Amino acid sequence: MEATTESDLPEMVDVASDDPEVVLAAYAERGWGDGLPLVAPTEERVAAMLGDTANPDEVIATLPPRFGEATRRMIAVNAVLAGCRPAHLPVLVAAVRALDKPELNLRGVNATTHPVAPLLIVHGQAAVDGEYNAGIGAFGPGNRANAATGRALRLILLHIAGAVPGPGDVSTQGGPAKYSYCVAENVEESPWGSYATDAGIDAASAITIHCGEAPHNVHDMESSDPASVLDKVASAMVSWGSNNAPISQGEFFVALCPEHASLCADHGWSRADVASYLFNKATVRVGDARQAFNLLAWAPWQIALGDDDIVSMTEHPNNIKVFVVGGAGKHSSVIPSWGMTKSVTLAIGEDS
Amino acid sequence: MKIYNPQGRVGHPPATQAEALPSLAGKRIGILDNRKPNAGLLMGRIAERLAADHGAIVSIVESKNAAISAPDEVLGKLTKEVELVLTGSAD
Repeated sequence: MEATTESDLPEMVDVASDDPEVVLAAYAERGWGDGLPLVAPTEERVAAMLGDTANPDEVIATLPPRFGEATRRMIAVNAVLAGCRPAHLPVLVAAVRALDKPELNLRGVNATTHPVAPLLIVHGQAAVDGEYNAGIGAFGPGNRANAATGRALRLILLHIAGAVPGPGDVSTQGGPAKYSYCVAENVEESPWGSYATDAGIDAASAITIHCGEAPHNVHDMESSDPASVLDKVASAMVSWGSNNAPISQGEFFVALCPEHASLCADHGWSRADVASYLFNKATVRVGDARQAFNLLAWAPWQIALGDDDIVSMTEHPNNIKVFVVGGAGKHSSVIPSWGMTKSVTLAIGEDS
Repeated sequence: MKIYNPQGRVGHPPATQAEALPSLAGKRIGILDNRKPNAGLLMGRIAERLAADHGAIVSIVESKNAAISAPDEVLGKLTKEVELVLTGSAD
């Protein structure tokens, strides 16, 4: 008799009721779920999530390391589990398309010992329609759209991609960003307009995925000029413990609060100016880097530098991505990269 | 009542393990060094031990980036030129 393969697993599971504790127990005994209570993905709820979605069983992406097929239906199942509303489904479909891009390197992201998690940033009309939070407390908690969409993306990684701690995700310590990691861009208070537009996306709605660490706080309540604020941002970027130190292709996402962003813009600084300044200030001595790491995955021009030269924490200013998020107050954050990954920005289109 | 299995179908057939070699005598061993700290050292020592104890021949040492798959040309070379590959050292 042939062994049962994953392809033979039944599409539906019998449970006594749709009580959250019953669903949690039924899933947990199969190694499914994220440890938190779940909304039962009944046929009716999944149908309501899909609405009049065309081609619900079209394969959007095949996600490693399990190589599970992410169809709209299976994305909807995980959206129901997480507590999403139907308005969040197009965001998730676009996010899955982004996860499938080769430059994002999902296989490495899921398999590494690093605590990397995909940060999902929602841009434009989809953020309005889905009632995502771009203001006070955007990284959480308290907003259903941010919490549920981020959680659904993690459930997709756990269930469809198979990024289960142990066999599919060997992150040494894991991390809180692996539960839910989703914000909306605060475009209304961005002095530079939409990040997605500057990334070349001409659409009413878009998403960005950056695979990185949890946010590192940067507080500055005193400075009245951009350089002083950004010097503090640069100090948060310079860390021997981050993968950006030995891997020069790594990106930084710099999430400026509206007040820090407007201070920069009021002094005539563009988004690119901020990135250029940080490129020149987030630096280390080359000899110190060589002492810290036996192996440096650096660009050839960086390897050619002398020990007493100064080198940036990333190989190009374009690797420093600046966007605006949050509400009143003077706290920004830096989100270092896993390293061997590039962020992806995609339109949320009719195919989402 | 019934609820969905959240995993969906597997798109590629699950990988299967290769048959174990009945003997290492005269077999060529390749090392795919992923350049993690000490990976090359560890696998080199293992290869030396296999050569000394079982008559294998250490044939090829290739390297790859730890975070991405080995290029097709590297895998093709290993497939063609060795019978056993040592790889997979982590942190």
